[in-house]
Amino acid sequence: MVKRARHVRPWVIGGVLLAASASPAAAQDTAVYFKQNCASCHTIGGGRLVGPDLKDVATRRDRAWLVEFILAPSDVIARADPYALQLQQEARGVVMPTLTTLDRILVGRILDLIGAESVLPKSQFAGIQISERPFTGQDINLGRALFRGDRRLSGGGPSCISCHTIRGIGGLGGGQLGPDLTRVYERLLGRKALATWLNAPPTPTMRGVFAQAGIADGEVFALVAHFEHAARQGGQDNRGGLLEFLLLGVGGAVVGLIALTSAWRNRFTNVRRTLVGRRRLTRS
Amino acid sequence: MNVRSQVSMVFHLDKCIGCHTCSVACKNIWTDRKGTEYMWWNNVETKPGTGYPTQWEDQDKFNGGWQVQDGKLQLRSMSKAKSVTNLFHHPNMPTLDDYYHPWTYDYQHLFNAPEGTDQPTARPISMVTGEPCEINAGPNWDDDLGGSPVYAESDPNLAGLTIEQRQQLSAVERLVFFYFPRICNHCLNPACVAACPSGALYKRGEDGIVLVDQTRCRAWRACIAACPYKKVYFNWHTGKSEKCILCFPRLETGQAPACFHSCVGRIRYLGVLLYDADRIEAVASSPAEDLVEAHRSIVLDPSDPAVIAAARASGVHDSVIDAAQRSPVYKFVKIWKIALPPHIEFRTLPMLFYVPPMAPVMANRTGAVVDGVSTDLFSDIDDSRVPLQFLANLFGAGHGGPVKYALRKQKAVRWYRRAVTVGDVDMATAERMLREADCSPEEAEAIYRLTSLCTFDDRFVIPPMQREQALEMLEGPEPHKQGAGFGFIAGPKRGV
Repeated sequence: MVKRARHVRPWVIGGVLLAASASPAAAQDTAVYFKQNCASCHTIGGGRLVGPDLKDVATRRDRAWLVEFILAPSDVIARADPYALQLQQEARGVVMPTLTTLDRILVGRILDLIGAESVLPKSQFAGIQISERPFTGQDINLGRALFRGDRRLSGGGPSCISCHTIRGIGGLGGGQLGPDLTRVYERLLGRKALATWLNAPPTPTMRGVFAQAGIADGEVFALVAHFEHAARQGGQDNRGGLLEFLLLGVGGAVVGLIALTSAWRNRFTNVRRTLVGRRRLTRS
Repeated sequence: MNVRSQVSMVFHLDKCIGCHTCSVACKNIWTDRKGTEYMWWNNVETKPGTGYPTQWEDQDKFNGGWQVQDGKLQLRSMSKAKSVTNLFHHPNMPTLDDYYHPWTYDYQHLFNAPEGTDQPTARPISMVTGEPCEINAGPNWDDDLGGSPVYAESDPNLAGLTIEQRQQLSAVERLVFFYFPRICNHCLNPACVAACPSGALYKRGEDGIVLVDQTRCRAWRACIAACPYKKVYFNWHTGKSEKCILCFPRLETGQAPACFHSCVGRIRYLGVLLYDADRIEAVASSPAEDLVEAHRSIVLDPSDPAVIAAARASGVHDSVIDAAQRSPVYKFVKIWKIALPPHIEFRTLPMLFYVPPMAPVMANRTGAVVDGVSTDLFSDIDDSRVPLQFLANLFGAGHGGPVKYALRKQKAVRWYRRAVTVGDVDMATAERMLREADCSPEEAEAIYRLTSLCTFDDRFVIPPMQREQALEMLEGPEPHKQGAGFGFIAGPKRGV
């Protein structure tokens, strides 16, 4: 009896594990994937963000078209597919990025997920909830402080100014790595879309930085307030950052050299020549 | 008591004739390489004069040596803060021109010159650039231009002299000078060692010779600014500092250093002194008027049983103690007290001592008779052509007491020997002078013999250097036991 039990037990455990991993775990993975890669531009039943609301997307186009588009959006646009061009126009020219992590199986699972979520009365991907109250001066100031790094982000992420500039930021402007954010409120289509975007920034650079250091909801609200305010002021940050840095560097070097020259102004004087020169003067 | 041994030196200035043989001997052995053309580890200066490099004694200009600040000894040229602010430029460094621009002559031109109406000449050529150059200064410029009102009158040791005394120094018929040979003093409290940021300078434990580790030197040149005697030099070719090594390879084989060995006037003495290393800081911080006496007190009696026991305890070999007991330097410095340290006010505690020079005898001329004797037997010391204050600035930190004592004793010895050999001075006067100069006839005889009749072995009591013991302190001999070959960098091996 003892012998038989030894033979049976590993098989039982293996079978249970296989069964467990089959469908619920895959669904879980797909949901996580959707949240990380899709949710910053799309909702399911939450209205339009940068990209369209995906609720009942399967009813709009056939599945084959959807798979092709999701795998390579720019290819579909490139062959002048009329519906794809329409989508691009609706998104104000923003083209959906090509995700290299996708394959046909995963796309199928995502479409299944969208289908399943579409029939629910309230999808988990209905978009984040951002308060509808009007922005106050206090919100704008807090957003500005967060942008400039006067206040650290509570999640520990770097302040916006490290990589971005915005009009009216003062000083030498912000960083030049990322784009100017003066009109980002318009570019990313307003309060809700921008807040969703900030909630989980999807661009390769920002995703890496903020994956472990998310921005708190209150901070997102304040930042959106600040961006809205900046967009209302219009224009763009027109500092010639590079030139200004260069001039400041050269100027600093010149000032430093003058300081060192005056501190060590006697460095070429020489005891013997001074002595002889002085004596010659007094004797003549 | 932490007893250490130090190879120390005495230069008897009364015997120096200023021939520069020492300098040439040193140059030919050690500094005839590229980058060392301007260096004279041994040089001979003419006093009054500004020396080499120009006005090296003026520490307001060069900031060398130590000073007592808030009761603590501090380097004048270097501190933690200054090592940062002087990172790119050290403001207290002598320039090449302060030493002199080294030159040679274009001798080839005497043979190769095309035929012409004039004699060909050998023009001076810079040894640094190889271009023709103008000679503005030299390593013994005061001697070459003796009495030059530009240089001699700017001697920093003239401080404190009256205008009348200064004028007399260069007046016709009273003009006077003496020679002042200098090498590294191998100080007990070396400023160069303290200043080095790389720790490249060190004082050898067994004999006190101060050396520069050529592999650790990083060309900061802090030692050059810090040494108040300006006896560390920078080799512009190798980018390392170099200095007098007291010919340690010669000492280790029982020979006197080259400058000592070649000295024509036999002015140089070399021997071991035992000293108490625990007292260095206290002695170096003494008030200026006590410095000479304090420095003398750090030297210990090598015959004292307590000193011998303490010396053995700190690893001084019996043969070194024996050499210390026979040391001529000990006699000059400690017993007779007629050898004095140069510029002790720099507080580096130099271990090279000088017997101050006797000025030329002052004679009174009455008609055709020249009378060399005045009623006050020691009067010509006070009224010397070289003012006592000048010597006091050199050898007494500005205080004349020790200098006067040394000069009086020398004078008394001279008169005593004159009474013995010539007989034109009566012995009673000579003995009275001895008494007044704190000297016994036996001591006078000993001073006379070591000054005038000294043999090679009297002058140089070189201890066995015990290098095998010194090396074993640093590295065990076992790893080298099977090692073979010639050359330090690469041993011999087969093949090409």
